[in-house]
Amino acid sequence: MKVIEDAVKEGRKTLSEHESKLVLRHYGIPVAKEVLIKSRDELPHAIAQIGYPLVIKGCAPEIIHKTEEGLIITNIKNEDEVYTAFDKVYEKVKDTPKGAVLVQEMVDGKRELMVGMIRDEQFGVAVMFGLGGIFTEILKDVSFRVAPLSKADAFYMLKEIRANKILNSVRGMPAVNLDKLAELIVNVGKLGLENKEIKELDINPIIISGENPVVVDALIVLK
Amino acid sequence: MKNKKFFENMKRLFNPESVAVIGASNKFDKLGFHVMKSLTTGGYKGKIIPVNPSAKEIMGIKAYPSISAYSGSIDLAIIAVPARFVFQIFDECHEKDVGGVVLITAGFREIEDPEGAKNQEILKQKADSYGIPVIGPNTFGMINFWHNLNASFTPEFSLTKKGDIALVSQSGGMSHLLSFLSQRHNVGYSKIVGIGNRLNVDFYEMILFLKDDPHTKVIALYIEGIDNPMPMIRAIKDMHKSKPVVAYKTGSSKSSNLASKSHTGSMAGRYEIYIGALRQAGAIVVNTAEELMDTAKALSQSSIPDGNRVAVLSGQAGPGIAASDMAERVGLELPPFTEKTQKRINELLPPMAIRTNPVDMGPAWYDASATREIIDVAMRDENIDAVILLIMYASANIKAVEGIKEMLLEWKQRKPIITCISAPAGIWDKEVSFLEENKALTNYPSPERAAQALGNLWEYKKILLRG
Repeated sequence: MKVIEDAVKEGRKTLSEHESKLVLRHYGIPVAKEVLIKSRDELPHAIAQIGYPLVIKGCAPEIIHKTEEGLIITNIKNEDEVYTAFDKVYEKVKDTPKGAVLVQEMVDGKRELMVGMIRDEQFGVAVMFGLGGIFTEILKDVSFRVAPLSKADAFYMLKEIRANKILNSVRGMPAVNLDKLAELIVNVGKLGLENKEIKELDINPIIISGENPVVVDALIVLK
Repeated sequence: MKNKKFFENMKRLFNPESVAVIGASNKFDKLGFHVMKSLTTGGYKGKIIPVNPSAKEIMGIKAYPSISAYSGSIDLAIIAVPARFVFQIFDECHEKDVGGVVLITAGFREIEDPEGAKNQEILKQKADSYGIPVIGPNTFGMINFWHNLNASFTPEFSLTKKGDIALVSQSGGMSHLLSFLSQRHNVGYSKIVGIGNRLNVDFYEMILFLKDDPHTKVIALYIEGIDNPMPMIRAIKDMHKSKPVVAYKTGSSKSSNLASKSHTGSMAGRYEIYIGALRQAGAIVVNTAEELMDTAKALSQSSIPDGNRVAVLSGQAGPGIAASDMAERVGLELPPFTEKTQKRINELLPPMAIRTNPVDMGPAWYDASATREIIDVAMRDENIDAVILLIMYASANIKAVEGIKEMLLEWKQRKPIITCISAPAGIWDKEVSFLEENKALTNYPSPERAAQALGNLWEYKKILLRG
């Protein structure tokens, strides 16, 4: 894929969030709606496309941990908030190479999951599924499989985590569409097998919106 | 990969008509002494050829200064001499057309000196080009119980019961432990193989070999970590439906890659990927040495349940509750009995007892026929896929096992009968082993282990079902 080839040519080790999501989109993985802008002038157009409430994020290949650096402002509801948020985030990223701002739809949902991929020197492409957001590293409740994955393999991963009940209908939330989630996992394996330049991939979080998984953040690390 | 001659030689290695012990000795402080003892006391029926440059005979058997000095053919050479002599011995083995080697000698890849790894590579090239399979180096050896062959330095391996589980282990210590535990718990093996530092016989080659081994029904693996695990994973995938594979992988503690940039990278230790890949291939993954043994025993001795619905029948309430808790934890269910079964149990037990599943048969202790019939109707219940039966000895119920023996022998685990029948040493041992040998039940030392073993049988059923 061009976005990967370009990054490799530039000698980069990571793709930006936006670039990473372009790769995911190419593999049919459902990604939150977003527009990448580089100036205040582009904001009205972006707002028109995304609509409120929305999220403003700093975006650049070198930016990996956005939350820690205050580069994510969520639940923006009106014009006043959006300009303030843009200025605040843009100020922090404007001197970063390829620094830009992502205007992203606010995906509503309480359940956060993650899917990842790592190229292991012994096993090849390994795909991971687990709880997302802040729970990923705290609980380490994850399951691995080696690509290529069958849909049945992916279903097994969903069942294998200790917190698998989170996928059921809980507290008034509908049951997660397991078929779509399994398909996402299978496609991550495929993506890993077909793009040898990718060393690691994080899709975290995947927010369950209604019953459907939507990728909200992603990071691709190159070899 | 390995050629046909290599696998033909694997058969000679495990079923030799003649065994040379290179480094055989009359001195207790030499490993060659213990290897000789294993062969001679283990009941090996073939020809033993001790090789020692200075002794005329070893343990009363005529010795030779080298294998070349012996005129007959040699199927297996067990080597227990210092590493520096091994190159030349390999060449002699080739000239002598030896079928296979057990290389007990240490001092190759595992040592800090890089010479060790270099020497192992040279040795591997020799063995591969000669088509000689080598178990080891740095191994205790191997035992083929169906050939009365104890080709190890521990004669007591031969005290382990002959059976249909093949244990392939990367650790000598773990093999010894499992053998001794199995001796106490009546678990039988077809082979125990310490693959050591895996010159050219790794898990992959062993699984391929065991696939066609008529004496092996279940394969138990103890894995620490190998250089190229995918051939093993594919071999498991190819055969797990004909012969179940139980795998215990250790090394979870030092796994995570802290330098990684991504969350996935920091979470993805080798251990986690191993577990995922093993499960994906259809192995039953276990977490302790005991669970490895218990699960292999269940697969060897019991039938596979059609479903996960279990009846817990206990002579005493406490063990029944413990087994029920564990059963639920491992994915089993305790459904209500059919009306017909429940009605009969209600007739057999006084109302003071818990008569629904899990059943407390306590109040029927004085009445062997009531106990027998409760077990019988529960086994036949269409809502039930397996029975967990728990009987703790008390002086007054000494006849309990005798009372259910005939029925269990007749039933023969058409549905699994997983038990914890426990008594002081010497009281029910004979009855229980007799029932186990006739595959009438599968016994465990605790209610929890019984339930866990049944949980793993159900796990295997699910693996078989997933197509």
